[in-house]
Amino acid sequence: MKRSGFDYYAPESISEAVVLLSDLGENTFVMAGGTDLLIRKRHGMIFPDAVVALKKIKGLDRISVGPKKGLVIGATALLADVAAHKGIQNKYPAISDAAKNTANVQIRNMGTVVGNLCNASPSADNAPALLALGATLSIAGPQGDRTLALEDFFLGPGLTALKPAEIVIAATVPPPPANSGAAYVHLSARGKVDCSAVCIGAHIELQGRKVNNARLFVGACAPIPMRTPRAEKTVMRKVFTEKLAEKAGAAASEEALPITDVRATQDYRNSMVAVMTKRALLLAHKRARS
Amino acid sequence: MNNYSVIGKDIPRVDGREKATGAAIYTDDIKLPGMLHGKLLRSPVPHARIRSIDVSKARRLPGVKCVITGEDTPKIKYGNWRLFPATQDEYPLAVDKVRFIGDEIAAVAAVDPDTAAEALELIVVDYEELPPVFDVLASVRKNASIIHETSPSNISVDRKIAYGDIKKGFAESDYVREDIFTVHPVSPAYLEPCSSLAQCDQDGRITLWTSTQTPYIVQCLLASTMGMRENDIRVIKPNVGGGFGGKMELRPWEFCAAFMAKLTGKPVKFTLTREEELTTGRRRHPMRLKSKVGFKKDGTLMAKDLHIYLDGGAYNAMGPTATFLCGNFGAMLYRYPNYRFIGQHVYTNKPPASAMRGFGAPQSLFAAESQMNMAAEELGIDPIDLRIKNAMVTGDTIPDVATISSCGFIESLEAVREMSNWKRNRKKNKKGYGIGIGCYSFISGGVFNWFNTQYPFSAAEVKVFSDGTAHLLTMASDIGQGANTVLKQILAEELGLKMEDIRLTAADTAMTPQADLGTWGSRVTLMAGNAIKDAARQIKDVLFGAVSSHFDLNVIFDLECKAGRIQATGKPERGMAFGEAVAMVQKTNRGIPVTAKGYYTPRGKGLVTPAFSFGAQVAEVDVDQETGVVQVKKMYTAHDCGTVINPMAVEGQLEGSIHMGLGYALSEELVMKDGKTLSNTFLDYKLPTAMDMPPGESVSIETYEPEGPMGAKEAGEGLASPTAPAIAEAVYNATGYRCKDLPITPEKILKK
Ligand SMILES: Cc1cc2nc3c(=O)[nH]c(=O)nc-3n(C[C@H](O)[C@H](O)[C@H](O)COP(=O)(O)OP(=O)(O)OC[C@H]3O[C@@H](n4cnc5c(N)ncnc54)[C@H](O)[C@@H]3O)c2cc1C
Repeated sequence: MKRSGFDYYAPESISEAVVLLSDLGENTFVMAGGTDLLIRKRHGMIFPDAVVALKKIKGLDRISVGPKKGLVIGATALLADVAAHKGIQNKYPAISDAAKNTANVQIRNMGTVVGNLCNASPSADNAPALLALGATLSIAGPQGDRTLALEDFFLGPGLTALKPAEIVIAATVPPPPANSGAAYVHLSARGKVDCSAVCIGAHIELQGRKVNNARLFVGACAPIPMRTPRAEKTVMRKVFTEKLAEKAGAAASEEALPITDVRATQDYRNSMVAVMTKRALLLAHKRARS
Repeated sequence: MNNYSVIGKDIPRVDGREKATGAAIYTDDIKLPGMLHGKLLRSPVPHARIRSIDVSKARRLPGVKCVITGEDTPKIKYGNWRLFPATQDEYPLAVDKVRFIGDEIAAVAAVDPDTAAEALELIVVDYEELPPVFDVLASVRKNASIIHETSPSNISVDRKIAYGDIKKGFAESDYVREDIFTVHPVSPAYLEPCSSLAQCDQDGRITLWTSTQTPYIVQCLLASTMGMRENDIRVIKPNVGGGFGGKMELRPWEFCAAFMAKLTGKPVKFTLTREEELTTGRRRHPMRLKSKVGFKKDGTLMAKDLHIYLDGGAYNAMGPTATFLCGNFGAMLYRYPNYRFIGQHVYTNKPPASAMRGFGAPQSLFAAESQMNMAAEELGIDPIDLRIKNAMVTGDTIPDVATISSCGFIESLEAVREMSNWKRNRKKNKKGYGIGIGCYSFISGGVFNWFNTQYPFSAAEVKVFSDGTAHLLTMASDIGQGANTVLKQILAEELGLKMEDIRLTAADTAMTPQADLGTWGSRVTLMAGNAIKDAARQIKDVLFGAVSSHFDLNVIFDLECKAGRIQATGKPERGMAFGEAVAMVQKTNRGIPVTAKGYYTPRGKGLVTPAFSFGAQVAEVDVDQETGVVQVKKMYTAHDCGTVINPMAVEGQLEGSIHMGLGYALSEELVMKDGKTLSNTFLDYKLPTAMDMPPGESVSIETYEPEGPMGAKEAGEGLASPTAPAIAEAVYNATGYRCKDLPITPEKILKK
C-alpha cells in the first residue's frame, strides 16, 4: 500500500483527462477542488496512485444562465462563484442558497458544486436543491459523452453511477417553469458553519392557488439524498396553505430513513424532516408567488 | 492617581505580526539534520493486561531506526503531584496494562512519518482483556473492575472541605433544595497539536523543544522518568498555539522523543494528529455534582453541601488539583456560612481528564450558578438581587483558605444589570427570547506546592545596558495568551523604557532563572509580574543611587524612571538618560554589568491563591421553538480583574472565553461509545466558529489588588465559567427547559 505521495496530472482538455484516467488505471482519482479528496487521503481512507486535476481545463469553470438551456454549472465552477452569481440568485435562489451554505469561505473558494455531487455524501448540501429542480449531468468518458438525470446518479454513500474513467463535465438545470419556486433549507448542530443534519430541497409549481407540481428531496436522512413522493402527493392539486405544508412535512418525516450518528439522533432527524420540509415548502411557495 | 505610560494601554501583541504572517516558529516547524519522525502505538482496547508485544517485524521495516515499548524504558512513574508520590500513576509507555483506548504502548522512530505509521501496523500486541468501567457510578461500585492496583476502590483522591455547621445551617433554612448536575468532557482543542523534538548532545544531555505550558515541570519530570539529573535536561518552549490546561504535564511523546534521541543519537520529533488529540488527549473533567443549598425566606444563604465525583479517566493527570479546586469554587462568590465539600476523583477506562481553562470552576460554577437561578425563581427573588444579597466583598474570608483582598463582584452585577437592560428584558414576552445570568470567581495562580519545587514560584532576571535597553529573562511561558507582551509592559513601565527597548528571553530552562511553575491557574501576570517588579526595583535602587549621588540630591528626594530617563521626580533637568546612568554604575563597578534577579513566591495568602477575580455575565438567546436550535444573540460581561494592564489583551481573553463557554454550553461534545471517542475530527467535534460568535458588550470593574503587580490579577480563565450557566438560564427563561446535564442540545429542549 502506497502511503505517501501520488502522481499528479493537470491535463488541459477533457479528452486528455479521459485518456489519462483510462490509462492510469483504477487507483486514480479525479480532483476538482480537492476539499473532499485530499481529506479522504489524509484520513487514510484512500491511497491514490495518481490524481487527475481538472482545474487547468479551460472553460470548465463556466457558469451560464440562458432562457433555453437554463443554468449550466461547469465541473470546476467554485462554490463561492455559484453562491455569488447574480443570475443564479435571481432565477435559481435555491441553488445559490445551497452553495452559500456549504462549508466555509476557504472551502467555498476551493471546492466545487459538481465535486460536492460527485463526492456523493448523503448530506451533500448542493444535492437536494439540484434534485428538486430536475438537474441533469453531462458526462464525458472513454465510451463517449452521455447525459444522466441527477436523480439516477446517486447509488449510495460515496457511490455514483459514473463508470471507470468518466468525468462529470457540468450540471444543467432547466429553465424554471412559470409560477414556480424552489427552496433549500438545512439544519445543523453548530450554528452557521457545519455539515447538515437534515437538509431539504423543494420545488413547486402553482396553477392559481393550487399546487400543480412538486418535487421534494431530503438530504442526510438516507444513504443517498432521497425523494419523498408521499409528501409530494400530499400537496399535489391542493390549495397551498401552511397547514398543507405541515402535512407534507409529516409525510416526509415518515418516508425519511435517518440514522443516529454523531451529528443527530434518528428521532430528532425525523421530527426535523417535518419542520424543515414545511419551511422549504413555505419558502418555495413564497418564491412561486412573487 | 496613576499616570502610567505603558500599563493600561492597548499595546499590540509582541508576537502578533509574526503569527498573522505565518512566520512564527512552532515546534513542528523545527527541522534538524538527520531528524527522525516518531509515532505512537495506542491501545485499541479500554482495559487489558498486555501478555506480549512483538516488535520484531516493525524493527525490520526499512527506514525504521528505533522501536521501544515500556519494557525498554526505566519504568519510572510520573505525575505533577511530586509531593505525594502515590498519586504519580503514569508510565510513558504502558507497563503490563492498558487502561483506556489510546493508552500509549510503543513508539517508533523512522526516517519519515509514513514509514513510522506503517511500522506501527507491524507491531503485534497480545491483550488479555479485562472488564472496563466507563462511568463513575459503575466505577465506585463494589466489585467493579480495578483500574490501578494501588487504588482498589477506584477512587484515587478524596478531598474534604468543611466549615461552620451545615446541619444547623440547613435546620435554620426556610428553603432547601438539592439537585444533581452532570457535565460532559470537552477538549481544549488548542489549534496547535502537541509536538516535541529532542536532541541528545555528545555528553548525553538532552535538549527538548516542546509545545508545553510548563517547561520547568517537563524538565523535572522528564529527568526523573529518564533517571537523569535535572540540569542535564534543557526544555525550550517555542511558540505555542494554545494549551488551555492540556499541555501542563510530562507527556509520553516528550519522553519518547528524548529517550529515542538518546538511543539513536539522532534528533527525534513527534507531532500528534488532530484525531489523536481529540480521541486520546486531555479533556475537561466530566463531573457528577450533587448540591444541596439552604436559604432563609429573604434569600440569605445558610448552608451548602456539595458532593462531586470527578470522572478522571484512566490516570490522575491534573485531577487531584481539579478535585481540590472544584470544592473551593463551590464556596466562592457568595457567603456560605456553613459549607461542606466532598470531592472524589474516580478512575474510569477513558482518556484522562485534566486541567482545562477554569480548572474545576466551570463545572462547579455551572452547578452553583444554575442552582442560584433555580432558587431565585422559587424564592420569588430576582436572580441578580439574590446574588447581590449574598455576594462576597473585599475583606471577606473563607475559613482556612483565603482572605479576599479585592472584590468588584457587586459592582459587576450592577453593571451587567444596567448594560443588558435586565429588568425590562426579563419581563419581555417574545416567543423564543430569553435572558439569563451566570457569575464567576477565579484564582490568580495557586499557592499550593504539590509539585514540591525547591525554587521560587516565579523568577526574573533583568540586565540593563548603557544603550538604554534592557534584557528580561524569565521562565514564564507565553502559550498564546499574551504573557510576553504583558511582562514586557510591566518591565517597560517600571524602568521608564519603551516596549521596543526590551529584549525578552523566555521559557528556556537552561537560560532563564529558576524557576517558574508555568502557565496555568492564571498565575503568570501576577507571579511573574511580581518577580519582574522585584528585579526592577533592585535595578532602580542602584541607578537611583548613582543619579542621586551624581546630582547631589537631598536624601528626601524621590527618583523616577520616566521616558527613558532616571531623574528626580518631576525634575527632568536633575537626571540623565537611562543608558547614561547604567554606564555610570558600570564604570563605578569596574565594568561589572548591571543586573538583578527578582523572585516571587506567595506567602501568607492562605491555601489557594494570592488573589481572586470576580465577574458577572448575561446572555440573551433566541430559541427556535420548532427545531430547538439556540442562537446566542448577545453577551454582556462585567468583570473585575484588578488593574487592566492591557485592555486589548483582556478583551481578547474575554472573547476567547465566551467562545469556549459557548461550545461548552451548546455544541462541543466528545461523543463516546464503549470507551471510544467518536468525535474524532473538527467536523464532528463542534467547536463554534467565528460565524457563531455573538456580539458582546463588556466593562472592566477596576479594583486595585494589593498583591498583584500594579494592582492586577487574573483576567482570562475565570471567564470560562459564567457563559454556560448564563446561557442555560436564558434558555430556561425562553423555553422552560432547565438544563442540569450539559450540553444543552436542541433535542433536550424539544423533549422538555
Ligand atoms: C472544512 C470542510 C467543511 C465542509 N463543509 C461541507 C458542508 O457544509 N456541506 C457539504 O456538502 N460539504 C462540505 N464539505 C465537503 C466538500 O468541501 C464539498 O463536498 C465540496 O463541494 C467538494 O468539492 P471539491 O471540488 O473540493 O471536490 P473534490 O474533493 O475535488 O472531489 C470530491 C469527489 O468527487 C470526485 N469528483 C470531483 N469532480 C469530479 C468530476 N467532475 N467528475 C467525476 N468525479 C469528480 C473526486 O474524485 C472525489 O471523489 C466540507 C469540507 C471541508 C474540508
